[in-house]
Amino acid sequence: MSDAGFLRRMDRGETTIDFVGLRRRWFVLSAVFIVVSLGSLAFRQLNLGIEFVGGLGIQSPNPAGADVGEIRDALSEVGVTSPTIQLLDDGAAVRVTTEALENDVVIDAVGAVAEVTGSELSEISTEAVGPSFGALVLRRALLALGVFLGAVILFITWRMEFKMAMAAIVAVIHDLIMTVGIYSITGFVVTPATVVAILTILGYSLYDGVVVFDKIDELVGIEDNKTYTQITNMALNQVLARSLFTSLASLIPVGSILLVGSVILGAPTLTEFALALFVGLAVGTYSSIFVASPLLAVWKEREPYWQERAEKVERRNRAGRN
Amino acid sequence: MTRRVVGVIIVVAVAWGGLAAAIYFGLTPVLGLDLQGGTAVVLTAPEGTDPELLEVATQIMNRRIEEIGAVQEPDIQVSGENTVIVQLPGVEDEQRAIEAVGQTGMLSFRPVLDIVPGETGPLAGSGTPNIDDETGLTIEDDLAAETWLLYDSGTGSEVLKLGPAQLRGEHVADAVSQFDPNSAVWAVSLDLTGEGADLFADLTAEAASYPIGDPRRQIAIVLDGRVVTAPGVNPSVSPETGISGGSAQITLGQGSDSQQEATDLAVVLRYGSLPVDFEVSAVRKVSGTLGADSLQAGVIAGLLGLLLVAIVLLLAYRSLGLVAVIGLSIFATVLITIFGLLGEWVGFTLTLAGVTGLIVSMGISADTYIVYFERIKEKLRQGFPVEQASADGFRIAFRTMLTANTVSLLGAVLLWALAVGAVKGFAISLGIGTVLDLVVALVFTRRAAGVLAETRLGSGGSFSIEGAAR
Repeated sequence: MSDAGFLRRMDRGETTIDFVGLRRRWFVLSAVFIVVSLGSLAFRQLNLGIEFVGGLGIQSPNPAGADVGEIRDALSEVGVTSPTIQLLDDGAAVRVTTEALENDVVIDAVGAVAEVTGSELSEISTEAVGPSFGALVLRRALLALGVFLGAVILFITWRMEFKMAMAAIVAVIHDLIMTVGIYSITGFVVTPATVVAILTILGYSLYDGVVVFDKIDELVGIEDNKTYTQITNMALNQVLARSLFTSLASLIPVGSILLVGSVILGAPTLTEFALALFVGLAVGTYSSIFVASPLLAVWKEREPYWQERAEKVERRNRAGRN
Repeated sequence: MTRRVVGVIIVVAVAWGGLAAAIYFGLTPVLGLDLQGGTAVVLTAPEGTDPELLEVATQIMNRRIEEIGAVQEPDIQVSGENTVIVQLPGVEDEQRAIEAVGQTGMLSFRPVLDIVPGETGPLAGSGTPNIDDETGLTIEDDLAAETWLLYDSGTGSEVLKLGPAQLRGEHVADAVSQFDPNSAVWAVSLDLTGEGADLFADLTAEAASYPIGDPRRQIAIVLDGRVVTAPGVNPSVSPETGISGGSAQITLGQGSDSQQEATDLAVVLRYGSLPVDFEVSAVRKVSGTLGADSLQAGVIAGLLGLLLVAIVLLLAYRSLGLVAVIGLSIFATVLITIFGLLGEWVGFTLTLAGVTGLIVSMGISADTYIVYFERIKEKLRQGFPVEQASADGFRIAFRTMLTANTVSLLGAVLLWALAVGAVKGFAISLGIGTVLDLVVALVFTRRAAGVLAETRLGSGGSFSIEGAAR
């Protein structure tokens, strides 16, 4: 089987990969990742941005070429201890993050950064967030997430069926844990942009799942002589090309944000956002094919109707062999 | 056939022409702070604050911002139950912005000691401390000292010399604007606290002791160093007792101007300047250069993404890819036009999060084409002719699109309703994007694919629809 031949057959929906039969493999793989993610979350927690925990962020150009030590000294002179200092764009810009400060100290801190970097006050961007507001933003984002998942269960149950809704939600939670886990493992700062990215991933993951389930529904109406597992495998093989094309088509714009943001222009907000999306989209595609659908098949096979169907197919196969 | 061709041409013309017209009439999207630079302040009121008070507060803030001047388009909005978001594009002095919107004002009642007509006080050029040398007015208002303040009485400008404050905002129990049907004038009736009643009686008794026509019969109501009004004591008030009993009436006049004045004065008396004691929850200042960089990054990323998606779609679906590329351009132009119109109508601003939402929804839109085109290929392989494959394929694919886009829209609506801050902008972009995607599929993609199926690009040649399915 040559690669070109496989791609061609995939494009025509003629591959015969046994997605459901090989489920143990995928489930073990997912389980390993989930355990690692949860372990990291338990021990390392998340690096929450100032938007969520409160604090002061200063972003300034750096014409004087100040290094981290100089900036740290300048800040400690005005009483700001333990700031986080990052040089951006090979030192052409700096980003300073501190805990929440009193208003007077904020003015001093911004002034100190302006002086040491040799930039004008008007060129400096700042962001000061009170801790309680940050907590509100986080609470609301989590609330939106919870309500969203609930609404999706209701919608898919109404439009398709409850078991499909649950399988889709399990896949979504799977993606969520993995993406958040990657943030915990790498220590990337979680910003509102990250939350947005994660919610988008959920959308994509569900979208993918819905497309597969739609296909399964369609085949259930046509194929009278196949088990649910066989139908699921057929559906997956038939939509495989679409799934991969879709992932490609969604990853490309996100990849271009990543490329433009990080390599060319150094806009950190965009880069962080794109990274979360990139990872999440990949995980989302994987989970809709390898987690949601096998799970659904296993669950549906327990229904009396599909058990009967499986026995019938089994009998016919045996009869055919004899 | 011809009808469909005309339909396709009309859709393309409307989309592209619409954007051109929008740009011609200056209806380009209003850029958010993070894309053009400026200051944003998030204010939080105590839990359970009356929404009406928040509304009043935003009006007062608007007025104060106008006094700062040089703010292009201040945007002050109540967000959620007790949060007010103030956006000041182009403002780079965040301290002044915070002072303008975040502080409750100092309200005081003061005896008028002297009145000088005109806009310049007698102390101009005298070099007195805390007096502006050019105008002769007090620079920093001190409630415990004599001050010189400008007052626009409606008939002309006067400079008032005021004594130290006798009553303050906390002495006012209530104030309501009223219309007296007998005399047909608007008035504000004022209720004072127990302590306030005594102080007010003393203040008005003193004023009433001067002969009618003397400036010292007037009492100035001052807010943050600005004279709101300076009514005189009524001739019927006794110099022995003053206005006692803890209530008084300030008469304003007839007509709708007076009605507005009475309403405003009642608000000022009731609440000081801001009816709500806000806490400054977050301040964000973006410099103009960082904003411009972000915008550039967003635009380049968007165009690059569009270009690459176009290449993939053309390679994978040949002539159908052409339909997708034109469809995506319709999607993008209409979306930008909608943002421009929303900016004009409801003050919608396009933020960085909104731009990313736009780029993401492009991915969703690309997927819609893929779902449809895969269906066409499937039908072709089942042996249907191209025309029927494109028509039947759409019917089946639209079901899937509808379900999947509903899920995305659901997410966008919930995000918009529940989240605060930057996430909202993303949700709006995404929500409009998912709906628009379905509209484009219905009015453009279906027709265009149908037209294509009947031409040479439908069957024959490796660039045709059949070529893609082979």
